[in-house]
Amino acid sequence: MAKYSLSINGKIMSVEADDDTPLLWVLRDNLNLVGTKFGCGVAQCGACTVDLDGEALRSCVLPVSAVGKRKVVTIEGLSEDGDHPLQKAWEELDVSQCGYCQSGQLMAASTLLKSTPDPTDQQIDEAMTNICRCGTQVRIRKAIHLAAKKLNTK
Amino acid sequence: MSTKTKFILVGLTFISAFGLAFSVSLHRPTEKDYISISPLKNDSIASVEAFKQVYKVLMSPRCVNCHPKGDIPLQGDNSVIHSMQPKRGKDGKGLYAMKCANCHQQSNSPGLNAPPGNPNWHLPSADMKMVFEGKTAHELAKQLLNPELNGHKDIKMLIAHADDGLVKAGWNPGEGRTVPPLTYAQFKKAWITWLQTGAYAPAQ
Amino acid sequence: MDFMNSRRNFLKVSALTGGGILFGLVFPSFETNDTSTALADYMPNIYIKIKPDGKIVLMAPNPEIGQGVKTSLPIIIAEELGVDWKKIEVELAPLDNRYGRQTAGGSGAIRGRYADLRKMGAAAREMFVNAAAQIWSVSAADCIADDGMVIHKSSGKKLSYGELASKAVTMQIPANPTLKDPKDFKYIGTRITDVDVHSIVTGKPLFGIDTRREGMLFAMIARSPAYGKTLGNVDDTKARKVNGVKNVIKLKNSVAVLATSTWAAKKGRDALVIQWNTTGKLENSSDHFAGFKEILEKGPTTVGRNDGDVEIAKQKATKVLDVYYEIPTLSHCQMEPLNFFADVRDGKVELYGPTQVPDQLRNDVAEKLGINKDNITVVVPRQGGGFGRKLMTDNGVEAALVSAAAQSPVQVQWTREDDMQNDFYRPAEMYRYRAALTANELLAWHQSAVGIGRGIRGDSYVAGAMVNYRSDSQGFNSNTPTGWWRAPGACTMAYVAESFFDEICLELKKDPVAFRLDFFKKAKDAPVGRLGYDPIKYKTVVELVAKMSNWGTTPTGVYRGFATWFSFGSYAAQVVEVKLEDGKPRVTKVYCAVYCGRVINLSGAENQIQGAIVDGINHAMFPKVTFVDGAVQETNFNTYNFLRMYDAPLDIEVKFVESDEAPTGLGEPALPPIAAALGNAIFAATGKRLRRLPFAGQL
Repeated sequence: MAKYSLSINGKIMSVEADDDTPLLWVLRDNLNLVGTKFGCGVAQCGACTVDLDGEALRSCVLPVSAVGKRKVVTIEGLSEDGDHPLQKAWEELDVSQCGYCQSGQLMAASTLLKSTPDPTDQQIDEAMTNICRCGTQVRIRKAIHLAAKKLNTK
Repeated sequence: MSTKTKFILVGLTFISAFGLAFSVSLHRPTEKDYISISPLKNDSIASVEAFKQVYKVLMSPRCVNCHPKGDIPLQGDNSVIHSMQPKRGKDGKGLYAMKCANCHQQSNSPGLNAPPGNPNWHLPSADMKMVFEGKTAHELAKQLLNPELNGHKDIKMLIAHADDGLVKAGWNPGEGRTVPPLTYAQFKKAWITWLQTGAYAPAQ
Repeated sequence: MDFMNSRRNFLKVSALTGGGILFGLVFPSFETNDTSTALADYMPNIYIKIKPDGKIVLMAPNPEIGQGVKTSLPIIIAEELGVDWKKIEVELAPLDNRYGRQTAGGSGAIRGRYADLRKMGAAAREMFVNAAAQIWSVSAADCIADDGMVIHKSSGKKLSYGELASKAVTMQIPANPTLKDPKDFKYIGTRITDVDVHSIVTGKPLFGIDTRREGMLFAMIARSPAYGKTLGNVDDTKARKVNGVKNVIKLKNSVAVLATSTWAAKKGRDALVIQWNTTGKLENSSDHFAGFKEILEKGPTTVGRNDGDVEIAKQKATKVLDVYYEIPTLSHCQMEPLNFFADVRDGKVELYGPTQVPDQLRNDVAEKLGINKDNITVVVPRQGGGFGRKLMTDNGVEAALVSAAAQSPVQVQWTREDDMQNDFYRPAEMYRYRAALTANELLAWHQSAVGIGRGIRGDSYVAGAMVNYRSDSQGFNSNTPTGWWRAPGACTMAYVAESFFDEICLELKKDPVAFRLDFFKKAKDAPVGRLGYDPIKYKTVVELVAKMSNWGTTPTGVYRGFATWFSFGSYAAQVVEVKLEDGKPRVTKVYCAVYCGRVINLSGAENQIQGAIVDGINHAMFPKVTFVDGAVQETNFNTYNFLRMYDAPLDIEVKFVESDEAPTGLGEPALPPIAAALGNAIFAATGKRLRRLPFAGQL
């Protein structure tokens, strides 16, 4: 066990964990930030995606010891009041079905919009590689476009 | 031009490149460099034999998977298209929000099916793709020796490349993946032998 | 029902949901002749609660697995009750027999509850109206109810349902409340957003996996690495030394490691040294398919249907088309890996987690633990997908056993690999189809099927429209477990039958849409034997999708495939469009027409159709499970390939046939035809007839 000081959603949080513990489980089990989901444990499905210094990190394979001073943003910190343009677009288009993968989808989409504020369909296809078995991909694509529109007319 | 003449020319090119590397090297040569590049006599037979060994390694999934034909890496011992189809990007480190390092950590993630890791995980960059996939031994040798295609590496840099962390990572592939058909020591020896005996390419 | 009785019922609800509700209303269920629901017993039922602040809470009685019933079932109550949808709250109901069939399966929630929930809402509305009329000493006929208020029409006096609640419960329960005229529907048939969407996009703890309780231990379980192997010696020395590991418990055929975190439990589990003994056959998928082929060549033993004489027709034919189709084993891969929370202490059991069959789970746990059902509570949170996996209760039962042995509250968490190796799979199947043909006529259709575990259920719609039709099948013994997988039976039958139909169209040079319409006409005008569908409805959806897609006017560079299927009471017809990119087909657009009676929530219904189509494309294209020596080879998404965004259609256009009929199934019916529609489009694009799933490796 070692002590780690992590920057999560704008706050410094202190946790005690084995150094090989994936950030995912530190978030879920130590910090009770359960919005970040476990789906495969091997960085395939993207349910565990968090924003790490602007990159869409798959937190299930990122050991807590490797986080360092990098800033972590989870779904709980995507916006203060749940009103990020992506969150609003997701609600407006009623994107989710079971809803389980959506926090990872939103975090992947938010990092995409940081680097590519008005992505084309192709850019969305290339960047959004999260799995959704319910099949909400068509609505996700539309919601990202809608969010981009909201962002760019702000 | 006969095949033999071609070999001699290739050999000469690299002898000169070799000499140049000593005089204008950008980094201070270490002791290891001097040891590893003590030049041997050109020997086309030994060189080609060494490259055949090298080729077996380079065409193994551990190497070819990140030297694909297209802009998407391969994965697994069966070298299939990487499951979420990440793209190379300009610097070889991914595209938009899909970076190699989003999943490939500093070291192998533990467990079956988990991604292998390395601090420098990447594909060759978009302007220097260094394709291995589908190449014959002849084509691959030629490509490796051509500074326009090999990342502007001279022979010394090529020799040093055997010590690259990402190259070595091939022999530490993580759970459930096979290692290349030679040991790392065997590979390094074959690689250096190939380069030091004239870097002859096997016949077409 | 008297007031006291309703108070007792209310108090029970209050205890179950743990809310600080001081006052509640309960309404009885109704005598019903509809034996399809389990409400035939006269039992009080609880769907509507009113909080002290007047806030109205509607209970959603069935498990929510992504099919949208937490939203659509309360819409039905709200419609008749006359409340403002924006002001109500919705809760998932706990397991309680008074709710009847609390199952997520068979596309049955809306179908089974539509009539009953309307009555429930309408009865409550009448009680509020009667209460207000009594208070005002006016005739109830002069009062109307809307947006949670009763209004006296002439005086304009108003009382809210909250204000009326204490009076309302003393009212006589109307035996036959007047239902709304559907033309006055305010919510049913409109677009309503999922009630949980805000919680979902803000990452609130909604799912079983999010359960965190005081003193809870996290557990992972080592289960057999292959079917045919059972637990032998266990050495847990190393596991117990893992930091955070608290306990190791040996179950009948598995070993649980309990720890203070999920990661510690996993490390502990992985540190167990277990000897697995081979006690059964170690099976291979390749042997399954070889066995199937042998049976199909000989002829399966069970005759499902036998109209006319297919053998005589084959002799008369100028050509007999004789082809085999192969369906691999599939895993469920719901996105939330299995888990369950259980607290078994002092003879009481608390269960909280994902299951599609809470009632069955309670029965199974009662039996395994020898604890009376009355001492077992089951609460089912929102679930990260179901698809049939959680019609099996193994995850909940196992958690209860671990908690009972550990005498501690426990959350058992499965890894994806655990899920894949310990599934109840969609069975591998093989079909042999034979068609007796002349130059321009189909004389006979002979369908033979074999699958792991069972024969094949059902027939194509050609049964009933053909003089010579035969279907036969046979089960295949295996120790690899099988179960229900979204649209069981239909999901594979539709692929093979509708692909084969396309092959016949090609042989006979018939248009796939026009030729199908011929069959529906024959089925209507001169049915042969029993008809398992309504040919008019089939015709309606086929014509609608043809119109939507301008069938017959394919744009340049676009290739199309068509298929249709009837399942779970609903009809779906689909046109898939593909384009070739670097010689490989990519789905660009899908059109889908659906006949499912009245649509409750247009947004949710459309989402189900679009989702089923993407789900169906995914499983037609990418994944398969292969058994080698009893072990699953594809144990995570790196080898069990799944569709990603770039494989999803750019657009899916959905239209519902307008209908006043009661709703029929919706969670499953759009999945079955899509694999065939896609395969038929791929054939149009590439000339390759794909008779084996998944397609991707063959393109």
